[in-house]
Amino acid sequence: MLFDIRLQITYEYEDAAVAARHILHLMPAGLAGEQRLIAGSIDIQPPPDERIDRTDFFGNQVVEIAYRSPHTEESFLVKGRVERFARGAELDITPELAGLSREIAAVHSLGPDAPSHFLGASARVPMDDEITAYAREQISDGMTVFDIVRTVGLALNRDMRFDPEATTVETPPREAFDNRHGVCQDFTHIMIAGLRGLGVPAGYVSGFLRTEPPPGQPRLEGADAMHAWVRAWCGIETGWIEYDPTNAMMVGQDHIVIARGRDYFDVAPVKGVSRSSGTQTTKQAVDVIPQG
Amino acid sequence: MTTETASETDMLDALLQNYRPPIGSADELLDASGEIRPAWRPFVSWLAGLQPDDITRRFGNADQYLRDAGVFFRQYGEEGAAERDWPLSHVPVVINQDDWAEIAEGLTQRADLLEALVADLYGPNRLVRDGYLPASLIARSPEWLRPLVGVAPRSGHFLHFIAFEIGRGPDGTWWVLGDRTQAPSGAGFALENRVATTRAFSDFLARAHVHRLAGFFREFRDALTGLRGEDEGRASILTPGPHNDTYYEHAYIARYLGLWLLQGEDLTVQDGRVMVRTISGLRPLSVLWRRVDAEWVDPLELNEGSRLGTAGLIGAIRSGNLTMVNALGSGVLETRALLAFLPRVSKALRGESLKLPNVATWWCGQEAERDHVKANLDQMLVDDALSTRLPFEAPRVGQGRRPGPDRDPEALLKWIDGDPGAVVGQEVVTLSTTPAYVDGELRPRPMSLRVFLARTPNGWTVMPGGFARIGHSDDPTAIAMQKGGSAADVWIAADGPVDQTLTLTQPETPFRRRRPPMLPSRAADNLYWLGRYIERSEGLFRLTRAYHARLTETEDPKADLLLAMLRDHLAGFGVETDECLPEGLCAAVEAAVMSASQIRDRFSIDGWTALSELRREVNGMRRTVQPGTDCAAAMGVLLRKITGFSGLVHENMYRVSGWRFLRIGLALERALATTSALAVFADPESHVGGLDLAVEIGDSVMSHRRRYTVATSRPTVVDLLALDDRNPRSVLYQLSDIRDHVDALPGANVNGQLSELAKSVLRAETDLMVQSPETLDTIALYATWGAIAEVSERLSEAYLR
Repeated sequence: MLFDIRLQITYEYEDAAVAARHILHLMPAGLAGEQRLIAGSIDIQPPPDERIDRTDFFGNQVVEIAYRSPHTEESFLVKGRVERFARGAELDITPELAGLSREIAAVHSLGPDAPSHFLGASARVPMDDEITAYAREQISDGMTVFDIVRTVGLALNRDMRFDPEATTVETPPREAFDNRHGVCQDFTHIMIAGLRGLGVPAGYVSGFLRTEPPPGQPRLEGADAMHAWVRAWCGIETGWIEYDPTNAMMVGQDHIVIARGRDYFDVAPVKGVSRSSGTQTTKQAVDVIPQG
Repeated sequence: MTTETASETDMLDALLQNYRPPIGSADELLDASGEIRPAWRPFVSWLAGLQPDDITRRFGNADQYLRDAGVFFRQYGEEGAAERDWPLSHVPVVINQDDWAEIAEGLTQRADLLEALVADLYGPNRLVRDGYLPASLIARSPEWLRPLVGVAPRSGHFLHFIAFEIGRGPDGTWWVLGDRTQAPSGAGFALENRVATTRAFSDFLARAHVHRLAGFFREFRDALTGLRGEDEGRASILTPGPHNDTYYEHAYIARYLGLWLLQGEDLTVQDGRVMVRTISGLRPLSVLWRRVDAEWVDPLELNEGSRLGTAGLIGAIRSGNLTMVNALGSGVLETRALLAFLPRVSKALRGESLKLPNVATWWCGQEAERDHVKANLDQMLVDDALSTRLPFEAPRVGQGRRPGPDRDPEALLKWIDGDPGAVVGQEVVTLSTTPAYVDGELRPRPMSLRVFLARTPNGWTVMPGGFARIGHSDDPTAIAMQKGGSAADVWIAADGPVDQTLTLTQPETPFRRRRPPMLPSRAADNLYWLGRYIERSEGLFRLTRAYHARLTETEDPKADLLLAMLRDHLAGFGVETDECLPEGLCAAVEAAVMSASQIRDRFSIDGWTALSELRREVNGMRRTVQPGTDCAAAMGVLLRKITGFSGLVHENMYRVSGWRFLRIGLALERALATTSALAVFADPESHVGGLDLAVEIGDSVMSHRRRYTVATSRPTVVDLLALDDRNPRSVLYQLSDIRDHVDALPGANVNGQLSELAKSVLRAETDLMVQSPETLDTIALYATWGAIAEVSERLSEAYLR
């Protein structure tokens, strides 16, 4: 499936930011066998004083920019054409939990996709006994890791209410979990915490959703802004799978990946530090249009 | 001869009569057979010959030095942090030079091993690939910093200045208790302990064969300087600032080695280079000796909540323009569980066995090791595997997921089974004992040593001495200073005269006077505000004295209009006169101390002591001072103290930009205060006595008498305090003073064009100059006040932001 993507993010500062430095995770990724970036551009206004393009630890393309002079607005316009490839139906050959921990230990690697990175606490996802206990209640003995991922995701989707007004990007997973509400970021963080608590390596994927659904299907939650979902490691044979707990579905052709990391901290679209005393307001607009 | 020896023996016996090291541990003073070790004999024999009151006096000298120098440490309790006197245990730890050489050799080997290990962890990761290290242990360490993976350090090395905590086991061999590779503290304290101990034992030390420490520091300073690029910036220390518990040490080392002391706020990154914000603009810098844990140095890529860091610093490292000492990410080597793997890693990486063993450690992430720990819980210290704490340091509240300190076996087992990779078991270490002087005799106390290694172009050099922690009881876990332990000097004793050449080596470069050092904007800001607060305090002392002196002469203070005016005037500064020693006055002094504490490396010890004494005096008076004459007298005392500090600064501070900012602060505050005092007390509507009061608080009573033969009148007072350019208290005098300093600052005059700041000073000065006592009425005085305030605004804009 071919998509044309347009993303516009605008920050407005009440008092001019004296200087700023940001790391951007905004461009759809090129992922062998999954997704091809045919063309892409980022237009940044005002033009930054510095721009560095590089790859981060997890293999994501990042743009680092810096401003040295006062400015009251920053605007990022991303345009891209992406092809998503269909992934064949999964044959569940994943191990049970005990087998999984042996397989994790057998991966003698600290490469970006090594499961060990995705097990303990990370910057935005602390280990949480309550969430772990919740995840444990959902599963039963004998389940494969693949089943576990889908079962925990489905349960969260059932028990949590999607509410774009209830949380912010700073809301800790536990708080959103206690209130059983939030947006894709909260769903994703809580599911990550639950899976890691069970011993399943789990990470965070940021990306886009197709804006208008195919005819006859409901519009998906999170299509009006950037989206997020979970990736989980299901053993050496299967490797990573991706699951969208906000929409209770396996990630398919209509999900477009931007970046992957342990949690929001690793892949935040616009991360950084501005020297400004006033408040700032953000606007975001996304269009993901299939081209056939 | 025989009798003398006998009495010497008696005295030694007396000193050691209760010195009985516990069974089952080694002792530093006595060998296994109970004989005094040869390295100790000269010192203890000499000590035994001293009268008790002589010993007390000598220890007092050491303590006095530490107090004067302002050495303190911060103790964290339930009530928050409190500054405590430095707990020096006066008896040094003496170690024979040959034993020391063995320790040094073992630690040098370990330092090389750690360098190879960290290079692998941020490089090819061969140890994980080949199964020598579990991937999950490294991946879970909060100190393994992903943004630094694959980044080779600019200097070619990750480690430049490290420390090891070592202890002596029951069999007499030395053990490594922990590795300090991130930003080890204690080297400066070791130096301070030496200086203090020298105060106590100067006569003995002069002829004792004890290795000196200065050469070690000089060598490292030269090594740091050698790491610089082509920039002319100095090697600098990066500190978290005065709220850090070892800030004293950062300032001390910076002053001792002539390094800049910088905070994250001082730095910015441009095009991959670290720049210092100075009053002359941005200046490049290429070497930072950090005393900040890595997590906090770059909020862009590490802890986003850090307010101590500089966004983009990691980018500068990635661009190969900055050497961090030690490299960011080196903290991963401190991970407790790594101790379990080091013996094998040493064989794998270097084909060697460890010359000095480390504490036996079992990581529960491995099955056999987990079973061993579970089966031997009662003989183990079970703790957080990823922690970087030393074995005897208690976890901070809420740190880690370790069950309480009660060592309840059931809770421990549950913890281990729940998350085995998070747990290590460690052998409980029995430390050796060393003498402490308690109630007139020597008593054995548990001890551990911190030893420092610095990288030089010729390899590692080991500080011939160190920092000893001494327990306050027999409990070997109670050596942490947070738990009441103390610190002692460490003497490496030679059999003959020590080779002093090391301390005499000069830098290779020929002598030249350095160009005027650059001044970081933050330092300039603090100097300026220090000047302002000092002057403000002085002004408030005078006003308060004037108030209380008049209070006693007035029958009905409530009805006295002049007193009422004074009350209102003081209230404008936040000073409430119904308090004897007003809060607002203490706040001004406190603000001066805070500004000074930010730039402690720029003060002489005497300057700092004078300021601290002023604060002590003010705080002490709060409880005792009575209104009226007593308070007036107290203000007199404070005035003498504060002018003492001003004098010290004025006389001793090198005449560079920093001094000018301080002077501008003083002059500007004085100009503002005098202007507003004139506007109030010399107003034609003012109460009788207002003019005399203005002259008094302007400290110009004598000048007035000399200059005018008549009594005070508005024209004479305004002339003297505002317009007389020969009166060092007049407003005009301050403005010319400010102009002189501003003209000398960088950028004051570019191609014949005055800066906005220089213009504002000139405007204020000339506007005042053309006035006469008659035209300078109250409205004109307020206008003058506004013009002076604008100078402050322009100054901040030009230099302090």
